[in-house]
Amino acid sequence: MRDASNGFGNFVCELREPSAGVYCGRVMPRSSETLPATETETELKLDGVWRVVVLNDPVNLMSYVVLVFKKVFGFDEQTARKKMLEVHEQGRSIVWSGLREKAEAYVFTLQQWHLTAVLEPDEAN
Amino acid sequence: MKRIEVKLALPVVAPLLDVIKQLGDSLKKELAAPLAVRDIDAEFRDAWSGELLSSQNDDVRTLLALFDDEFFSEGVVSFDENNAEVILRACAAVRLRLREVYLKPFGDETLEGGDVDVATLSEPLRKAFMCYLFLATIQELIIQHLDDGILGS
Repeated sequence: MRDASNGFGNFVCELREPSAGVYCGRVMPRSSETLPATETETELKLDGVWRVVVLNDPVNLMSYVVLVFKKVFGFDEQTARKKMLEVHEQGRSIVWSGLREKAEAYVFTLQQWHLTAVLEPDEAN
Repeated sequence: MKRIEVKLALPVVAPLLDVIKQLGDSLKKELAAPLAVRDIDAEFRDAWSGELLSSQNDDVRTLLALFDDEFFSEGVVSFDENNAEVILRACAAVRLRLREVYLKPFGDETLEGGDVDVATLSEPLRKAFMCYLFLATIQELIIQHLDDGILGS
C-alpha cells in the first residue's frame, strides 16, 4: 500500500466546497448484525468458522484501505488503521471471522473495492 | 449535500485522459484485482466475476464521464456524495491496471514508496506514472473531503 498524503502535486489549481453541509449519517457496522443464538449455533456446526483475510497490494493508498475497512466492516478509525498496517507490514490481515455465507459476502464486497481478499477456515474453531 | 469542485490544471491533466480511457477499455473484460478466492465452485465463481465486472464497468464509466465538454472548457470536475464512492473505486481499478500494463518494471517497493524520477522516464512511462499520481490525487481529495458521506451511505 502507498501513503500519498503529501499534497496534490501539479494537478489541482483550486479546490472549492460550494455547498458544504452537515452530514448526519452514521456507520452501521454490519458485523454487529446477529442471528438468533440457536440458528447461529446450528450453522456454525454445519459450516464452521471462516476468516476473511485481506492481502497486501502495492497500489491502493493507505487512506483508501482505511476508508474501505470502515465502510465495509464498520470499524472505528483506530481499528481500521491497525488492520491496514497489518496488511501493509505483514502482507495480510484477518479482518473478520464467522459464518461462511457472510464471509463470502464480505470477500465479494472487498473485491468490489478492488482489495484482494481470500477465505480461510478458522482451524481453532 | 456536501460537494467539492476541483479546478484541474488542464494542460497537465488533458494529455493523461487518453491513457485513462485506454485502460478503462481494457477493464471491460478483466477485473482490476483478480479473484483470489480458490475454494468456491466454478458456477458461483463465474457469477461473482460477472457481477464484479459489471460493477467495475459502471464505476469506470462514471469516472470517464467526469471529463466532459465542461471539463475541457472550464477544467473543473465536481465530486459529491452521489459519485464519490464510485469514483474512488474507479480510480483504484485504473491504478491497479496501470501497474499491470505499464508500471511493473518499477517493482513493488518503488511503487509503494513513489520514489520515481519522472524526468528520466520514456514518454509513455512518464504519462502512465503521471496518471497513477493523478488518480491517487483524486482519491485523496475525495477521502479528505467526502469520507463522511461515503461512510454514511
